[in-house]
Formats: sequence, C-alpha cells, structure tokens
Amino acid sequence: MIERLSRTIQEERLPAPDYELIAKKLRHIVGDDGVSASGADRLATCRDYWPMGTLWFLEGKAPALPDLVVWPRSTSEVAAVLRLAGEHNIPVTPYGEGSGALGGAVPLQGGIALDMKRMDRVLELDRDNLMVTVEPGLNGARYEEYLNRHGFTGGHFPQSLRCSTVGGWVACRAAGTFSTRYGKIEDMVVALEAVLPDGKVIRGRKLPRTATGPRVDHLFIGSEGTLGVITAITLRIWPYPEKRIYSSYIFENIERALEAIRRLVQAGARPAVVRLYDPAETAHHFPDCEVPAGHVILIYLFEGAAGIVAAEDELAARLAREEGGVAAGPAPVERWLETRFNVSLASKLFRQGAVVDTIEVTTSWSKAAEIYHAMQKALLEVEGTVLATGHYSHVYPEGAALYLTLVGFPPGDKREYYRRLWNAAMDSCLALGGAISHHHGVGLHRGLWMAQEHGQALEALRMIKDAFDPQGIMNPGKLGLGEVKKWPE
Amino acid sequence: MAGVNRKLLLDCALCPNMCRCECPVDKEYGREAVSPSGKARLAHLLLEGHLDWEEDLLEAVSSCLGCRGCRLLCPFPELDLCEELLQARTVERPPGMVLPAAAPYLNNLKKFGSPYGTRPVAQASPQGGSPEVLYFINCTAQANHPRSPQLVLELLEAAGVSYRVMDQYCCGYPAQIWGDMELARQLAEENRDRAAQSGARLLLTDCPECWHTFTARYPQWGCELGLPVVDAATYFLELVQQGRLKITPPEGIGSVTYHDPCIWARVAEMTAAPRELLQHIPGLELKEARPAGRETRCCGGGAMFQLTFPERSAGIARRRLEELPPADAVVTSCPFCRENLQVGGGKVLDLAELLGLAALR
Ligand SMILES: Cc1cc2nc3c(=O)[nH]c(=O)nc-3n(C[C@H](O)[C@H](O)[C@H](O)COP(=O)(O)OP(=O)(O)OC[C@H]3O[C@@H](n4cnc5c(N)ncnc54)[C@H](O)[C@@H]3O)c2cc1C
Ligand code: SF4
Ligand code: SF4
Repeated sequence: MIERLSRTIQEERLPAPDYELIAKKLRHIVGDDGVSASGADRLATCRDYWPMGTLWFLEGKAPALPDLVVWPRSTSEVAAVLRLAGEHNIPVTPYGEGSGALGGAVPLQGGIALDMKRMDRVLELDRDNLMVTVEPGLNGARYEEYLNRHGFTGGHFPQSLRCSTVGGWVACRAAGTFSTRYGKIEDMVVALEAVLPDGKVIRGRKLPRTATGPRVDHLFIGSEGTLGVITAITLRIWPYPEKRIYSSYIFENIERALEAIRRLVQAGARPAVVRLYDPAETAHHFPDCEVPAGHVILIYLFEGAAGIVAAEDELAARLAREEGGVAAGPAPVERWLETRFNVSLASKLFRQGAVVDTIEVTTSWSKAAEIYHAMQKALLEVEGTVLATGHYSHVYPEGAALYLTLVGFPPGDKREYYRRLWNAAMDSCLALGGAISHHHGVGLHRGLWMAQEHGQALEALRMIKDAFDPQGIMNPGKLGLGEVKKWPE
Repeated sequence: MAGVNRKLLLDCALCPNMCRCECPVDKEYGREAVSPSGKARLAHLLLEGHLDWEEDLLEAVSSCLGCRGCRLLCPFPELDLCEELLQARTVERPPGMVLPAAAPYLNNLKKFGSPYGTRPVAQASPQGGSPEVLYFINCTAQANHPRSPQLVLELLEAAGVSYRVMDQYCCGYPAQIWGDMELARQLAEENRDRAAQSGARLLLTDCPECWHTFTARYPQWGCELGLPVVDAATYFLELVQQGRLKITPPEGIGSVTYHDPCIWARVAEMTAAPRELLQHIPGLELKEARPAGRETRCCGGGAMFQLTFPERSAGIARRRLEELPPADAVVTSCPFCRENLQVGGGKVLDLAELLGLAALR
C-alpha cells in the first residue's frame, strides 16, 4: 500500500537494517502495542506542519517514511530503545504532536519515529516552590488545564498550544504569546531529564540556579531531537493571575508604535501580550475596530498582581499618547483572544492551490522597522507572492520578534517558488543583522542558513553533537548539523 | 445518504490538529494516525485513491467515538468530523469489508437483533389501548445492567403512566458504524413499524445514541419514526414537576457528580434537565466535573468502543474519571457511560437507578 506513495527524499542507510528483527526486539522493550510497522502509523508520522510536507500530502506523496513507529512509556524504555537503535545503527526521530513548522520531525533516513505521546503524565506538582515536573508527551492545553485546576498557570501559550507537546516546546525552543511577561520556554525550564543516544540518563538539579559549569541538561533546549530524547521537564509556574487589563492603541505607522513599545519595556514594564500589526493585518484581524486605512493597531494584555498591572497599564497609556497613539479600548484584545487559535484560512488557501507559510525572525530595536519593510519588499518581489504581512510580538528591552505571513499562488513549480521565497526572506533578514529564527526553530528547512547564522559556532555545535551522538542516529539531517544528501527535488 | 463532503474533509486534513487536545482517542492512544486531522488525512488519501483500503487504515478511520469533542474547538462550523469519517467508512469502503474487531458483534446483530449476542427478552408489557409512552429498551442496558430498564418501568408505573415496551431490536446505529447499511435500514424499518403499531403518543429512550439515531439518522436513511422521541431525563423531570413521583432522600447517597454524556450535551444540548432533576432530590449535593456540560469529555463508550476496543475504551474512562470530583456516586444518563465509568471501581448509577432509590420505596 505504502509503496503506492512515492518516496521523494528518503535517504538510504547502509547496510539495510533488518526491521523485522528490530521490531521483535523492540516489542520486548515496549510491549506489543508499543511498536507499529503499519502503513497507517508510518504515514501519520512521516511529516509535521512544514508547508513542504503539506504540498507532498496534497500530491499524495510521502516525504520520507519511518520504518517503525515506537511508543515508549518510561525513561527506561526510551533508554533501551536508543541502545537498541545504536546497536543496529538505525536513526531515531522523536515525535511530539507534529506541529513543528520546519520539518524537524520528518524521519529523513527512515528508522524509528519515537512517538512521545504516551509519556504524558504530570509527575510532580511542587506548590511551595512553584515548579511542576511533567513527561514530554503531555499536550500543551492539557498541561495548562491541569495547572489551572490547581490554581496555577504555566504562562506558555503558543498558537499551537492545543496541538503541541511540552517536550516539543523545549526541543524547539518555543515562545508563547504571553512571553513578554512569563518568558520563553528557556526562561521557564528549571531542569530536564534526557536520555543520551547511548542510553545514559542525565538529570538536571531542580533548583533555581547553579554555578557548577554549563548546565548540560539545558543543552537540550532547542536541540530538536539531535542530541537525545527529553524524558522529563521541570518548569516554573505562577499563581493564576489575580487581575487582567486589556488595552489597545491606534497609530499612524509602525515606527511610532514601535517607539511606544520600546520605551515601555525599557522602562521595566512586562505586559504579558504585546502585539503590533501592520496595516494589512490590522485591517484583516480587526475589521470591526474602525481603524483608519493604513493605520496600525497595538494591543496589550497585562496580567498579574492588581497593583502592578494597573501601574503598567498607566505607563503604557502615557507612552502611547506621547507617540501619537489613540486609545481603542479593550475590544481589539477581546477579539484577539477569541480568534487567536483560528488558523482555518491556511487550510482553505492550501486547498485552493496556494502556498502559505510564516517566518519569524528577531531584530534589535534599531532595525525593527527597517527589517520589516525590507523583508516585505523582498518577499513581494518573488513572482507569485500575493500577500506578505507582518506583526511584532515577544518584545525585549533589546528588540523584538517580527512574524511574517506569506501567501503565494506561484505560476510554476510550487517547490521552486517556496525555495525562492525563503531565500528572499533569509537573505533580507541576514543583511539587516536579524536572527533567522525567533521561535519556530530550524528543523530540516532552516538548516540551509545555519552556517550564515552561526559562523564558526556551527562547527562547535557539530562537535557537541558528535560527542553526544558519534553514530549520528539522533534525528539526522536536522539543525543544519549534517549534510542532507537527497534534498527534496 | 449524503456521502463525504470532500472539501471539508480536506480542510480538516490540512489543519494542524487544532482540536486534538479535546479528542479522547488522540489522548488515550497517543497515535498520530488516530488524531482528528490524522484520521482525516488518511481518509482523504483513501478517497483520492492514493491508498487502498486495508485493515490498518480502516481501523484508523474507525477510531472515532463520535463524541464531537473536536467540534468544541473546530474553526469550521459546518464540519462534523465524526460524520465525515462515518460516511467515508460506510459509503466509500469496498463492499463486504468489515473491521475484524467488529465482525463478531455485527454477526450477533444480524442473528439476534442485538450486538451483545442474546436475543432481548421481551419485557411484560401492558396491552390494549393507546399508551402514553412507548419505552425503547436499549441493547446496552439490557445486556449489562438490566435492572435499570426495569426501574424505568417501575417508575412509569409509580407515576401512573400508561406504557408499552419495545425491546426486540437495536436502533441500527451499530450496524451503520460497522458499515452494514442494509442491516441498519432493516432494523430502522422494523422499529418504525412497531412504533406505528403501538399507538403510543411518544417514544421514551434513555440512550443518547438511540435518540440521535431515531431523530437524525432515520430521516437520513429515508425512514421517519413518526413519533416524537423524548429523553428520560426530560420526561422524568416533568413527572417530578407534576408531582407524579414522590422524591425522598436516597439512602447512602449524599453527594453525586453528574457526568454529561457527550451526545446529550453536545448534540441534543440537554444539560439542564438532568441537573434540575437532581436538584429535586432533597439534600443531594451536586458536584460538577471539570470539564462539564457542553465541554464534557467522552467516557470512552461512544461508537460501541466497549465492544470493539475494550482496553482503549477503559483507558479513556479512567482519564475521564480523573476529571470527576469525589462523591458518593457518579450519576449519568447513558448506558455506555453507566457501564464504562465503573472501571474505577466506584459507584455509578444512571438516572433511573438514582430515581429508583429516591422515589420507589
Ligand atoms: C498553527 C501553529 C502555530 C504555532 N505557533 C507557535 C508559537 O506561537 N510559538 C512557537 O514557539 N511555535 C509555534 N508553532 C511551532 C510548533 O508548534 C512548535 O515548534 C512546537 O514546540 C512543536 O511541538 P510538537 O510537540 O508539535 O513537536 P514536533 O513537531 O513533533 O517536533 C518538533 C521537534 O522536536 C523534536 N522533539 C519532540 N519531542 C521531543 C523530545 N521529547 N525529545 C527530543 N526531541 C523532541 C522532534 O524530533 C522535532 O525535531 C506553531 C505551529 C503551528 C502549526
Ligand atoms: S476537526 Fe476541525 S479543528 Fe479538528 S483537526 Fe479537523 S479541522 Fe482541525
Ligand atoms: S468525534 Fe471525538 S473521537 Fe472522533 S475525532 Fe472528534 S473528538 Fe476525536
């Protein structure tokens, strides 16, 4: 059955492993229902939410197929699976909920797709010290629901909250929409437990800080499955916020609005949500908010202790006014809260033959406006692009994240278009000193620009990878660490 | 029958699974292939001819409880994924192909009129005249906890309601989910004829799947039942409000958690009646589950999972039980939930059983 779907990019691993024998051995480790070689399971874990994978799906092709799907239930099972994979020299690609946007979970050389979703327990809620320890396969929305039930919040709300795992967040170095107050995932992780490719288990101390050399467990933040498997995560949590304030402002242009935000965070305020939309996104997302054409909207959501958020809101209002902003009340924030998880347009556009993608980069304040204009221009110049819009979110005293949404109806080959689109985006970003990713990570696709991003540091990262994983069994071809021999054509 | 809405199915296949946190199958199995969008993707590939119907694929696209948890979060208002999957399985799969796990139960259904493999025992039913109520005894309660339909009859008697019993044939829903539309229609026609012959004013059911089948599926199958269908919670609430049932505190039960069955809560939108009924029981404390009401989560008993995938079904029930606060009993209004939620070892009652304790002394 599966042979009817063409393999387009799979790299062969030589000599060809005996997967029947390996499956038999795996069953001893994870039980009969912990291993599958069925077409349904292999197909289902062959890709993530990378648009290239979506294009293959629409063509009825499988980008690359795992030979086996394996579901461990414990750290010791993960360790045994990795030892076995090492013995047989077969690749292992960890799989969360497949919401990754760059092909990180695509099993490029086949082998084992290690589906982490049966490790989804909450292991410990430490109320006194505001920490929780969970297994990596726990779904994000279920994680937050658990904390809310006990009077806490995790503070991490990526748009993919409902379709991603806590382990996936850590592996991809994710950022949630409330990050300006609560921090990114690396600010939330206290300690990790991870299994190295040889089966050894490392555990970080569950303490707020240590000065005992580099934190080895923290190396797994952003490792995207290339160093080993994350098996438990201890995170900071917060009491469920006492108060929330919503406010929004309309500005003539993004430059003035960016100035208002910069001054606010540099003064020390930490709104949970800060989002500044360009004119096109303002018109699209807030049609009922009566924003004059060509103007932009900035929304703030403050939450936490009542006195603190009131002061932050007051300061934000003053700074916005000074930059020419006009208050637009709480309605736009309510509208954002209602619609923030709706990504149905992407489905419809893909179905109608479009190519849709999002690209997020990091910029300093000094280049924040310039990089938006430059990237937008570069993207619209690629033939076929009909839409290149943007917003800023995740702000810091030093700069912000810029998030671009792209829609194209390419006249010719879609993959060729996709390549040109990304070249335009990454070149224009790097030219203005931006970082090529703020939070989606690297996966397969962004590996192409990792050398430009890191320079010599990529070599150092490769050395770390080789030291952890000399056989190169962990998620080969990702993070720009290994050469991809059969690149998708 | 409508067939699959290919456009909607593809929209779902292209979605990054934005509702998977609400899908009990997704959470219990942890398999991409049975995630909401995962099922839609496989169904799409099958319908487009990229894949051939094989057992593992049929099993994957059958791994849906019909609980509509996904609909709570789905941005496509017209999409009812479980119905699209059902259509894909019934209309599009090769004739004669049966899910191995369902085969014995489908045979039972053909032979006995019940998937449980015993011919339902005809209940003594008062004859003559035109009764008020035709009580449809569902196959699941009859097979697993027959005391409960018996109590419904006793409650009707106590309230002085004239009734007749209909208990010979299944509503036909199991036949449809297992892909035998011919059998489903045959059962529907039998039931329609018997309902017409009864001369009753209304048909009473305590099974949400039967209710949904009578009210929504029969018309789709071209077989209108011809009688109004009323659920037991609403009907008993009326009897209590009219003072036709005398309620006293039930012995040994001071507090209950009400588990909303998913079809009652999300399809029938019937969440208030059972709670009102419980409030009529003096001294009874109602503890709410989290989530409850429309946001309830399936007990794992939907789409006959108890029969076809018993271990998974029990696993889903265990997960649901974690969301229920401790109480003297869990009360529910569906024979599948009543059965499945017992995996935790606690006391589980359906409304008739609780009312039996409160109104029949
Ligand atoms: C609609 C949508 C919105 C999104 N919004 C955001 C957003 O707001 N912020 C954001 O940061 N991202 C966002 N993303 C991207 C994506 O959701 C995140 O990258 C997420 O962290 C991936 O989690 P996952 O469980 O789906 O991982 P997967 O996609 O399954 O895997 C991602 C990578 O992590 C590795 N991995 C997974 N689990 C483990 C483990 N236990 N140990 C080691 N490696 C592992 C995999 O091998 C793979 O390389 C969005 C994606 C979508 C589709
Ligand atoms: S049911 Fe709706 S939300 Fe769920 S995967 Fe399908 S389209 Fe997405
Ligand atoms: S109906 Fe229930 S089981 Fe089926 S896909 Fe939706 S949430 Fe999952």
